[in-house]
Amino acid sequence: MKLFVFKAKDKYIGIESEYIYRIIDDYKITPVCLTPKCYAGLIFYRGELFDVINIRLLLGYSGHLENTYDEPVENQRIIIIKWHNKKLAVIPDEIIGMIWIDGNYEGLNSYRHENKDINLIKPDYIWKKLLELSYGHH
Amino acid sequence: MGRTSIKNKLIMYFLVLLLIVIVVIEVVNQTTKDFFLAQGLSIALAMAIGTVFGIIFSRSITLRLKKLSDAAGKISCGDLTQEIQIISSDEVRDLEEIFSLMVNHLRALLIDMKNVSLKIHNTNSILKMLAKKLLQNSNEIDITAKIIAESSAKQTEIVHYTTIKLNNSIKVMDKLVQQSSQTISKADAAIKKTQKGESNAREIISHLELVLKQMSESAQPLSRLPEKVEKIKIVMNVIEAISQKTDLLSLNASIEATRAGESGKGFAIVAEEIRNMAESSKQSSKAIAKLVEDILEDNQMLKEFLTKNQSEIDKGNKIIHGIVQTFSDMLLGVKDIFSEIKSMEDATVRQAQELRSFSEHFQKLSVSASRNYDSTQKTTVAAANQKNEVKRMASAINLLDKLSKKMLETQQQFSLPEQKKQISDKPEEED
Repeated sequence: MKLFVFKAKDKYIGIESEYIYRIIDDYKITPVCLTPKCYAGLIFYRGELFDVINIRLLLGYSGHLENTYDEPVENQRIIIIKWHNKKLAVIPDEIIGMIWIDGNYEGLNSYRHENKDINLIKPDYIWKKLLELSYGHH
Repeated sequence: MGRTSIKNKLIMYFLVLLLIVIVVIEVVNQTTKDFFLAQGLSIALAMAIGTVFGIIFSRSITLRLKKLSDAAGKISCGDLTQEIQIISSDEVRDLEEIFSLMVNHLRALLIDMKNVSLKIHNTNSILKMLAKKLLQNSNEIDITAKIIAESSAKQTEIVHYTTIKLNNSIKVMDKLVQQSSQTISKADAAIKKTQKGESNAREIISHLELVLKQMSESAQPLSRLPEKVEKIKIVMNVIEAISQKTDLLSLNASIEATRAGESGKGFAIVAEEIRNMAESSKQSSKAIAKLVEDILEDNQMLKEFLTKNQSEIDKGNKIIHGIVQTFSDMLLGVKDIFSEIKSMEDATVRQAQELRSFSEHFQKLSVSASRNYDSTQKTTVAAANQKNEVKRMASAINLLDKLSKKMLETQQQFSLPEQKKQISDKPEEED
């Protein structure tokens, strides 16, 4: 099984690779008003609209976010996730890549790989966290 | 008129008496017949006539002698107005003449004495006055001599003290001359060093200009380096962009391979390798970029360093030019100082010589001062002695004055004829 691993602040987050639809960069994010701070905006990619979420802010990791998303950030990569007719675009701090893991990881929250603790999450978790948020700026 | 002695006069008188007696006897004899009577009458008449003649004759001598005696008595009483009438021409006349001469001599002597006494008196008065003044002067001389002696003592002391000071001054001056000589040699050395410094500074300037030229030549490639580095950076950016795209492509390829399932595994490995390669390329690109940045930084630093160096070297060049100018000024100044010190040394040497000469003269002055001191001591003693002598002289003058007064009093006891007295007074008035 393959995990797609990226970094949010200093935490490693892993998502099953089958949910990863595409990695894009240098893409214009259109901001949307009255949305939570972690909601970066919308992108239009190949005829589809995607909500763009800053994963670090969504998961409540502290840290200063410098991006305003008014303009494309250089080398800013966006992970487009699709699952069960749902789709989402996530902005990580850094993309680590694909890792192969052996065995069953169902029920595990984390996985240790090369001395790194990778938090295993599912796209629904992100979606759920997103839905928990109230509208408007904090 | 010829002189007649008393003897001749007596003989003449005797012969005349004899003739008269003879005549009388003849007359008596003629008239008288009686012989004896005649003889008696003749004898009586002869004796009477003889007695009368004798009296007349003796009176003619005794009266004159009495006059002389009276005159001598009056003269002895101081009356020199007596005049002796010289009538006869016998031996008494000699006496009268001698007496008269004696009186005249006495008068003249008295007049002379009076004149002398008056002169002595006058002179004595003057002497008295002079003695008084002399005494005053002697007193002043004595006081002044004492003051001079004290001053001379002080002068001797001062001269002695000044001699010591002068000797010290000569020593100091000798030391000064020695120091001046040393200063001259040091100034000479300073001139040589300054000249050497100037030539060294000029040499440094020429070397510096050469170095500057070489640096300017060598800095030209450095100035072209940023352009080349910029080109490298563009290329590096392209490479980085390619590596980014490759990385993204490999990621997406991995995703696609995963979606392909088991059949996509090989492709996933290739994609992973491509991603690793892209990552390596990216890292290399970053490393190269870092190196290029470092090179640029180094180049910038080098440029700044060179610019700074250039400005510093320019400043240094200016400073060295200033140093050269300063050395030249210093050289001129040191030469001026040298000439000033030289003239000062000459002046010091001359001053030392003058001081030495002055010291020699001062030594003589010191000797003279010592002699003066001795002389002033002697003068003080002599002035004191002189004062005593003047006092004694004054007492002698007083005594002489008394004697002259006494002499005048004595002389007043003698009376002189008015005419002669007036004549005798004339020289006194003339005096």
